[in-house]
Amino acid sequence: MTPRKPLLKALAGMLTPDDVLVSCLGANARYLPHLTVPAPVFALCDSMGAAIPLALGMALQRPDRHVVALEGDGSLLMCPNVLATVAAARPSNLTALLWVNGHYESSGGQALPSAPVDWVALAKAIGIEHVERVADVASLRVVFPRARTARKAALLVLDVAFDPNEPIPPYSERPDEIRARFKIP
Amino acid sequence: MTLAASVPDTWIGTLVRTVRESKKIRVVDAAREEEAVAIACGAGLAGGRGAVLIQNAGLFNCGGVLAGLVELYRIPCFFIVSYRGDGRDPVYYHAPKGRVTEPTLSAWRVPFAIADRAADVEGQVVRGVEAAVESRGPFVLLISGEDLA
Repeated sequence: MTPRKPLLKALAGMLTPDDVLVSCLGANARYLPHLTVPAPVFALCDSMGAAIPLALGMALQRPDRHVVALEGDGSLLMCPNVLATVAAARPSNLTALLWVNGHYESSGGQALPSAPVDWVALAKAIGIEHVERVADVASLRVVFPRARTARKAALLVLDVAFDPNEPIPPYSERPDEIRARFKIP
Repeated sequence: MTLAASVPDTWIGTLVRTVRESKKIRVVDAAREEEAVAIACGAGLAGGRGAVLIQNAGLFNCGGVLAGLVELYRIPCFFIVSYRGDGRDPVYYHAPKGRVTEPTLSAWRVPFAIADRAADVEGQVVRGVEAAVESRGPFVLLISGEDLA
């Protein structure tokens, strides 16, 4: 399985100023300030499960922008119902990337309940119109642009390696700084 | 308002039916109340103005997202919440929710008001929206079914 950082770097490299990026708490939010991201970024440091509905609200408000949400499998397992909300709202400009590593990485690396959740099947069954699995960086470079141009609500399921010894940087931006800087032109 | 995210009950459903007739407000049907809060916040962060229309039972689900999103990032978020179980509610099984609604909001330090149909309800909504904007936080207007009559 691919480590997180090359996938995140590859994603950041594909974003444009016409995108908006919403990150879940944890490793993704902690890495992002250290990457060059050409899109506005709103990164959470709490509130598990909020990334996708937050991005949905942005996408509906700004149909001229492509909104990208990063969410973890632990967070989505708390509220998979949000996929039904997205399916019902049918935004044509929302792509969610689900980072699946089977662990609550930012809270100490505990394992998720060990149910073998098939996220691709679940998302399709609940009505998400564009669902694809991402195995590695090369696949992300093909699948992400395809999701962006699909003009349908998309969920990309990324299988990510879990490394309990990964030196993830600490949070380097405070919520008030993130909030003050976040603007969609 | 540009967007209203809702999980309906009988009373809120009545309100949402009216809101759907608006050409200015997009109604988003959410599966659960925490989502509705985040959706409304997303609309606000993207330049619009979002409201949350839910029952008090669903409000009780929202403690985490109120603290970890609305309060932490200081996002205006206006709620209209059906006050089930208050003295005006004829349905007995809502009473436990009614007993803890105001104490819960007070404990969470969420400013709120109780709609008074004898006064100017529209003005109370406007003042609630303004209070959320000015405080850059949540404001809850508690309504009874009678207020929608």
